[in-house]
This record gives sequence, C-alpha cells and structure tokens, in this order.
Amino acid sequence: MRLSEIMSHAGLSGYAEVALVIFLVAFLLILVAVFAPSRKREFDAASRMPLDDVHPQSPRQPPGDAS
Amino acid sequence: MNPQLESYRYDDAIVRKFLWATFAWGLIGMTVGLLIALQLAYPALNLGIPWLSFGRLRPLHTNAVIFAFAGNAFFTGAYYSSQRLLKTRMFSDALSKFHFYGWQFIIVCAALTLPLGFTQAKEYAELEWPIDIMIAVVWVVFAINFFGTIAKRRERHLYVALWFYIASIVTVAILHIFNNLSIPAGPLKSYSIYAGVQDAFMQWWYGHNAVAFFLTTPFLGLMYYFMPKAADRPIFSYRLSILHFWTIVFLYIWAGPHHLHYTALPEWASTLGMIFSIMLWMPSWGGMINGLLTLRGAWRKVVEDPVLKFFVVAVTAYGMSTFEGPMLSIKSVNALAHYTDWIIAHVHTGALGWNGLLTFGMTYWLAPRLFQTRLHSQKMAEVHFWLATFGIILYVTAIYSAGLTQGLMWRAYDSTGRLEYPAFIETVARLMPMYWLRAVGGSLYLAGMVLFGYNLVRTWMTRPATYDEPVIQAAPLSKDYRDHAAPRPAGALARFMQAAWHRTWERLPLTFTVMVTLAVLVASLFEIIPTFLIRSNVPTIASVKPYTPLELAGRDIYIREGCFNCHSQMIRPLRYETDRYGEYSKPGEFVYDHPFLWGSRRIGPDLAREGGKYPDLWHVRHMRQPRDIEPKSIMPSYPWMLTNTLDFNGIQRKVDVMAMLGVPYGGALTNAPAMARAQAESIGAAIAATGGPSDLADKEIVALVAYLQRLGRDISAPAAVTAAGAP
Repeated sequence: MRLSEIMSHAGLSGYAEVALVIFLVAFLLILVAVFAPSRKREFDAASRMPLDDVHPQSPRQPPGDAS
Repeated sequence: MNPQLESYRYDDAIVRKFLWATFAWGLIGMTVGLLIALQLAYPALNLGIPWLSFGRLRPLHTNAVIFAFAGNAFFTGAYYSSQRLLKTRMFSDALSKFHFYGWQFIIVCAALTLPLGFTQAKEYAELEWPIDIMIAVVWVVFAINFFGTIAKRRERHLYVALWFYIASIVTVAILHIFNNLSIPAGPLKSYSIYAGVQDAFMQWWYGHNAVAFFLTTPFLGLMYYFMPKAADRPIFSYRLSILHFWTIVFLYIWAGPHHLHYTALPEWASTLGMIFSIMLWMPSWGGMINGLLTLRGAWRKVVEDPVLKFFVVAVTAYGMSTFEGPMLSIKSVNALAHYTDWIIAHVHTGALGWNGLLTFGMTYWLAPRLFQTRLHSQKMAEVHFWLATFGIILYVTAIYSAGLTQGLMWRAYDSTGRLEYPAFIETVARLMPMYWLRAVGGSLYLAGMVLFGYNLVRTWMTRPATYDEPVIQAAPLSKDYRDHAAPRPAGALARFMQAAWHRTWERLPLTFTVMVTLAVLVASLFEIIPTFLIRSNVPTIASVKPYTPLELAGRDIYIREGCFNCHSQMIRPLRYETDRYGEYSKPGEFVYDHPFLWGSRRIGPDLAREGGKYPDLWHVRHMRQPRDIEPKSIMPSYPWMLTNTLDFNGIQRKVDVMAMLGVPYGGALTNAPAMARAQAESIGAAIAATGGPSDLADKEIVALVAYLQRLGRDISAPAAVTAAGAP
C-alpha cells in the first residue's frame, strides 16, 4: 500500500479545526506574554537598547552584585 | 576600573564593504530594470543580441535587486546593528569576510549565467544548481557567524530587531533548500524533482516567503533598529513589536498559494492562502503604525532630516503594499489582477518604496558614522528623496493603470456576447503610453540612485586617514545569573500571567530559534504535504503522455530564452479565459512538467493550448521576426534559433534524468537522439513543403516548434479518459 493511499484514507479533514485551536492558543499565550503588566519595566529597558552603543541595558550580573 | 570588564571593538570595516556592494549592485540591478522596461516600449532595444533579450534579463533584474541590492543592504544593517545590540564584535572576522566575498561571487555568477540562458525557470530561484549550493554554503557561514555573535554577547535580552534577523536567516535557509531540490542534467542544467502542480506549490511557497523573509522581515529588523536611531527615541511600543514579530512569522508562511488562484492548484489550498493573507493585514499595519508613531512629537525633525523623510515614506510604502497584498489575494480581485501589470506595480511599491527608501535612509544615516566625517551634501540627499518619491509615484500609477486597463480588456464582452478584444495584441498596444511613462518614473528613481552614489563617494573622500576604532568595555554575561527575584504571586493564574516563561526563552537564542523554526516548518508541512500525498488532489489523465525527446529539447530552449516570463501556460476556469484560449487547464496535464511553466504575467498570450493553433511555418516566421506577422507585437525576435544547431546527442541525458524523476520514457531511454532526429526530419520537411526554409531540420527552431505544437493537445487526444486515481 502506498503512502499516498494511506494518507487519502486517514480522514485528515479534521486537521483544519485542530490547527485553528493550536493557533488560537499560541496567539493567546503570546498576548499574555506581551501584555503582562509586570513586564513594563523590562520592555522599557529593552526598547532603549538601540539608543546606547556602549552600555548593556539588560541585567548582566547576578542580582545584588552591584557594579 | 572594574576588573571584570572586557574590552572590544566594533568591526565597521565589514559594514563599509557591504555598504558599497549595496550601492553598486543597486545601480546595476536598476539599470537593467530600466533597460527591460524600455524594451517593452521599444522591442528593438535588445539589438538582436541573445543575452540582451527580455526573457533573459528580467530574471537578472529581479535577482539583482532582491538578492544583490536588498540582500547587501540587509547585511550592511545587520552587521552594524547586531554588534551594537549584542555589545560585542562579530563572532569571526574571517567568517564575515567569507560571507561578504562569497555573496558577491554568487552575484557575479548570477550576472554571468542568467543572460546566457542558464535558468531553473522558477521565479527568484532561477540560479542553477552549482550556484544554489554556493548560496547554501555562504548562508550557513552567515548563520554560524551570526549565532556565534549572539553566543558571545554581553547583553542578555535580544532586542526585537535580532528576532527578525533570526527568523529571516532560518527561514530563508529552509525555503532555499526545499524549493531548489533538483537533479543535475549537466554542469549548469537541472530538473526540479517536483512536477506540475506540486512544483508550482513549492515555488510559490518559496516565492511568497522570499518576499516575506528576504524583503520584509530583515527590513523590519532594520526599521526597528534604525528608526529609533535616526529619531533618537525608542520605538513607539515595544510590546506591539513583539506581537508584530510573532504574528508575521506565524501567518506569512501560509500565504503563498494566493499566487495560484484559479489555477490547477486544489481550491482548498488557494482558499487557505487567501485567508492567511487577509489576516496579515493586522500585523503589517501594526508594524507600520509602530514605525510611524515612533516619530510622535518629533515630526519637526522629519522636515529637517532627509534620513527621516526616507524612513517615513518607506514605512508608508510598507503599509500601502501590505494593504494591497491582502486585497490582491482575495480571489475575485485576483481574477482581475493576476497576469497583469497590477502585480508589477504592487511589487514595485514594495521594492522601490519599502526596500529602496529604507536602504537609502539607513545608508545616509550610516555614511557619516562609518566614514567618520560629515555627509557631503544634505541638500543632495533631499533631492534624491524627491526624485525617488516622484519616480515611484510615476512608475506605479502608470503601471496600475496598465494593469487595470489590460485586465478589464481581457474580460470585456460586446453586446452580442463575444469577446470585445479577441486579438490579444489590442490589449498590449493600449499599454504603450503607460510603458513609456513607467520608463520615465524608473529613470527618475535611477537618477536619484546616481546622486546617492556621488554623495557617498564625496563623503568617503573626506574620511580620516585612519578610522578611529574606540575600545568599548562591558562586563561579560554572568553564568550564574538568576532572574529577578520578583515577588512570587499567589495562585497559578497570576504566576502564569507574570510570563516568566516567555521572558526566559527570549534570552535563550537556541530555544527561541527552535520555536521560530517550528512555527515555519509546521505551517509549511500542514499546507504542502497534502498536495503531495493525497491523490485526489492531482487526478491523473490517461491520455497525457511524456514529451518526446525533441519536444523536451524544445522545452529547454523555451526555458533558456525565458519565454515563461511573458507567456503563461495556465488557462483559468473563467469564461473570458476559455473563450479566448480554449479548455481550462487541469492538474493532470502537468504531471510530467519538471519544472512547471505556468508563468505569472501575460505580456503575451497564454500558450497552454497553443499546439495546433498555427502551422509550423507560422512559428518559424514568428520566431524570426514577430513583427512580420503582427506589426504591433512587442515580442523579441529570435533569429538565432534558426541558425543554432540543435545538440541532438545531449538529449539522451535530459531523458535519462527525466526517467530518474519517474517520467515513463520507455523506448526513448535507449535511443532518444535517433527519435529526436526522426521527428526533426519530418517537421523540417513539413516546413520546407509549405514554402519555408529547407535547412531547418537540425536547427533549434525545430525542437521549439515541436514543443509548442504539443502544448495542450494531450487532453483532447483520442484515448482521453479522465479518471481520478487511475494509474
């Protein structure tokens, strides 16, 4: 039996709905990740990254290690 | 001084190299564009030279502008911005140089082989297999260098521009490899392993995503870096930029089939492509708004600074072409626009507006910094801006009207129910004023380009004797870094909403890259595999047989001359198409077409049912001088086909490779040259008998005539039995 015959009879038409659900979930996860209020400070720092060629903007030392 | 600090320098020499390459190839690519635009208005401009004819130069123009001009522009910006965003020098200077020289060598190879007629006949993937392998190698070197740089960075978070670069690098590699899979049939000749519908599907999955991941995402990365730089303020919304990134990566990869509406592609695929294209409206406009609003409160600067002027119009052009793209993907709009100049206008809004102007703005911003001097003339940059902007407006309005005019003429019926313009040439002749206007617009844009080069050279001439390379100090990333000890909220939902998980893999380039690759691959597999594996998608037609050896040789001449650049072989199931060209094309008719030759633009009429329409002698005379038969024709003349001797012995190899790809060749497997000679003798004799030249039996023209006379006839051959799933 050829692979193409197996695929033809596998009843893949339901995949569209599965894909829809997966995509929707992925999209919601990203929305949460992006709009979580706790991340405002971090994003503000990140958005300034192009403006400074010299000083890294995101934390580079373990917390509490002042430098 | 902190003993932990490390010292490094940015490598700007490589950026300067890419900058010059961008300008040089841009100038060449656009000049070739102007030349072929003029050839459409005045066909004799190819001077009767094979390598100056439209079909061979058009791929050179598109490849030069996409991969040489825009490609080098992306590398310029990426090498400049990545080092600074990652606070480190590039991973390896040697790899940077290999990338630079390798890429330029590939472009030189392309510029030599395309005019000589070596082509795979797939749009933007024309380059033959040895060059394809070089592209893969150089791209992998670039990837190693880029990811190596990320690995030794001193900035933990990856700025969003880098995400766009990562997605581009990964996806272009995947697209390039899968679309170019082919079996060599000579040092510069190969046949795609896919045939017909499947080849078309792969090609436009590639073709559309080449636009997405070579012309859009890299330049969005550049926008997210250089727009804030030039405006001296952060991007309007960093959150929106992340949303922009993920939605673009998720959606773009599905949109390809909208290039194949109403063709023999299964309808579910084309509907899928349309829906995802329409969804792309949202993220594209989100990105445009994000770019433009970065200038909020700084519009005063736009008045004074040519760099920002370029950026504003570039981002606006991005908005316009990403509005138009989804609109064109709607089937009913596409029925009118497909095969017309409307599509040409659309891509030029994108290429001249978005890619071109963004590149100019970026380069004017970079030049004084890279050459460590003042820009030679702000005024000249202003003039360049206006020349380019007016050039674009002239170009696209002319070509929009050309596209609409021709599309409407093709579908016009008179009051008696017959096609109002049954002669195709009428719909071409009407476009001539627009073609001249387009050439004027293109000339303005090119004039701006010359000014750009002059300004750059003069700026470069005032550079210091040695460039200052400041030493920068930064602490390395600490290995035992732990995330901020943010207060741990009670409740699972609240902890989830804190989104520490996303934050974590934003910092992990490897995980991040895997996620992007997954998004791209899953989409591709879901969309493409069913066409290959579900048999009802390509019903076979019993009467469709492989091309004879001579016809196969003729098909390769058709490919060499780039006929598919102006002639489609795909009749859509629309009344005005079947009335004009005959029975619509079926998927089963193309099962032996390695590669497919459906075409995407009808500068000349469709040829899917050309076979038997005219006598052999008509074709001979028409190829020698189209204007002997149709005075208003704008087709190039191909006199060399009547004098070039056909390489009969080389045909065996073509047949062998086709057989390797599964084409059932039977008797031709052992004596293809003899079979081809016999068929050529009989065609040559028929041409001589009807009053034509008597010395054509061993010339290329005979093979081409054999191929053209075969086109579209199998379906009405006596044994025509259509059966889904028949062996």
